[in-house]
Amino acid sequence: MDVWNSLLNGFATALSPEYLLLAAIGVTLGTLVGVLPGIGPALTVALLLPITYNFDPTGAFIMFAGIYYGGMYGGSTTSILLNTPGESASVATTIEGFAMAKAGRGGAALATSAIGSFVAGTISTIAITFVAPAVAQLALLFQPADYFALTVLAFVSVTALVGRSLLRGMLSLFVGLFVGLVGIDVLSGQTRFTFGVRELLDGLDIVVVAVGLFAVGEALYVASRMRYAAEEIVGVKGSVWMTRDEWRRSWKPWLRGTLIGFPLGSLPAGGAEIPTFLSYSLEKRLSKHKEEFGRGAIEGVAGPEAANNAAFSGVLVPLLTLGIPTSATAAILLVAFQIYNLQPGPLLFQNAPDLVWALIASLYIGNVMLLVLNLPLVRIWIKLLEIPRPLLYSSILVFATLGVYSLANSVIDVLIMYGIGLVGFFMRRYDFPVGPTVLGVILVPLMEAQFRRALSISQGDLTIFLRRPISLTILLLAVAAVLLPYVPALIARLRGKKRTEGRFVFGSGSED
Amino acid sequence: MSTSDPQPGPRRSFVGPRILSGAILGLGLVVLYGSFQIRQGGGYSAVGPRFFPLAVAVGLLALGLIFLLRTTLIPDLDLAEHAAIEESATHWQSVGLLLAALVTYAFALQLLGYVVATALFISVVARFLGSRSVVRDLVVGVGIALVVYIGFTRFLGVRLPAGLLDFIL
Repeated sequence: MDVWNSLLNGFATALSPEYLLLAAIGVTLGTLVGVLPGIGPALTVALLLPITYNFDPTGAFIMFAGIYYGGMYGGSTTSILLNTPGESASVATTIEGFAMAKAGRGGAALATSAIGSFVAGTISTIAITFVAPAVAQLALLFQPADYFALTVLAFVSVTALVGRSLLRGMLSLFVGLFVGLVGIDVLSGQTRFTFGVRELLDGLDIVVVAVGLFAVGEALYVASRMRYAAEEIVGVKGSVWMTRDEWRRSWKPWLRGTLIGFPLGSLPAGGAEIPTFLSYSLEKRLSKHKEEFGRGAIEGVAGPEAANNAAFSGVLVPLLTLGIPTSATAAILLVAFQIYNLQPGPLLFQNAPDLVWALIASLYIGNVMLLVLNLPLVRIWIKLLEIPRPLLYSSILVFATLGVYSLANSVIDVLIMYGIGLVGFFMRRYDFPVGPTVLGVILVPLMEAQFRRALSISQGDLTIFLRRPISLTILLLAVAAVLLPYVPALIARLRGKKRTEGRFVFGSGSED
Repeated sequence: MSTSDPQPGPRRSFVGPRILSGAILGLGLVVLYGSFQIRQGGGYSAVGPRFFPLAVAVGLLALGLIFLLRTTLIPDLDLAEHAAIEESATHWQSVGLLLAALVTYAFALQLLGYVVATALFISVVARFLGSRSVVRDLVVGVGIALVVYIGFTRFLGVRLPAGLLDFIL
């Protein structure tokens, strides 16, 4: 099918007044919730899930695309003005962004991040338009063994490349794997780990797990640290715009960030943390103003923000074409598809072309709307940062409860979610990354089903995973992802230098 | 771990991590027990419904053991320093109060209805978290509760319990 025609059809659908309105509501809500400190994109999407129940699938997904992008734009405002990144992908932005804000250049930081996000978002959406159908074609060749290998790669990269400790990442992942196995086994009909509780037969909903880990875990943690003492909020003086010199210093980092972000985001390799840190160190190396780094260099905001946004868009490629979410946020989006009985994967482009193309078209539209929301109207969002923390966190808990309760009107679900929140609290306390757990819960059913299918095809022969070229390649990539963090240390050792740090890691791995 | 160290290095604590490794090993045993409770399906299949659960149980036990080692024989000093900072900063009373408030809220939703339970929850929890503006919190609580209730039940088709205010809502 011709990409241009499909895209035009998508625009025809997405530009109808009703869908434009839904897109506008989506980006506004996404920005609103994304700006709130302590709420990252994954939680934003999970909390806003119930709002979309009432719409037709196309409308719901247009709204979701808006929420997804809006949460990301909103998050960068928080990380620049408040020294608390909502998610690990914003950490790199915080370093220079907060420094700029303190130096009175918050307006320029906000402008370069909003315009950079727009540039990266638009280029990445163009890339999705052409890459996704091609990947979907390729994915038709994928067999169960290859899908199994893909899930292995997704797990390995999210635990090995992100977070301070491989061991703690693996433990988080395995807890998620256990939670994901609870319920009736689809292939054999046997119940597993339900311990006689009837509510567990259908398994634990990913929304229950994600909201518990992110919202309740964070609220309990904040309560425990008594962190409600006033935080430093830096106001924005002057206009939210850039000087000619700042434009000149920004546009290359935007493009470089996009080039790093999109490909890495589309690989099943752990979402947006890695590209943002890569972009940060690249800009630091290339900058003519190295002395400014650490004290507010605009390149250090422009590059990582563009990389963040491009990677977020890139994540949609494996999600739409393979049905494999590679970040906690994408995992929640997958749930949204499943609520409407849609299975993302190579067949989605054949079975629901109208929906997919309307979704892609709405990404273009959403980006334009977000540019408007985040440049001229940014002061409205800044006001949100002044919400008193006690009220903010008690409201977050109310919305978390609402999101879970409205799934099935079940108090048991809500209590389970609080229990998971307590687990999330201890994970934060002892520095366990939360992302691997969420990904484990959502991906283990797929991983197991494909593993068992592959072995029935091969009649129990385990070498099938190594005999198929596609799965062998993916598994080799997974091995490379495990070894990669040790490479710098190894090189240093070979050169006879001593390094204090054994593993090279990206971000803190707390995507929430 | 460094009693002979003359310098007063950073404080470290292994109490929490050790309890945690016990909890992980306990979870591993529960998963192992649960795996053997799964009936193997009849008929031919190369891998039954028990295989993945067993793999997860073995993984949890193995990783739990390594984690235990990292808190005893080969200590992870970074983690211990992190744990010591956390332990000195943790205010357990707020965590307990917040959990109690949450559980009460879950049951109050059915008993008192959404609006009353939510308004009370917001103001009480805000107080636990250090707010001293009782009236403001109550006003915000009632406002959020009403907006959510009306918005979700009238416009979004989500059912929420009316409870005490059944006669007017």
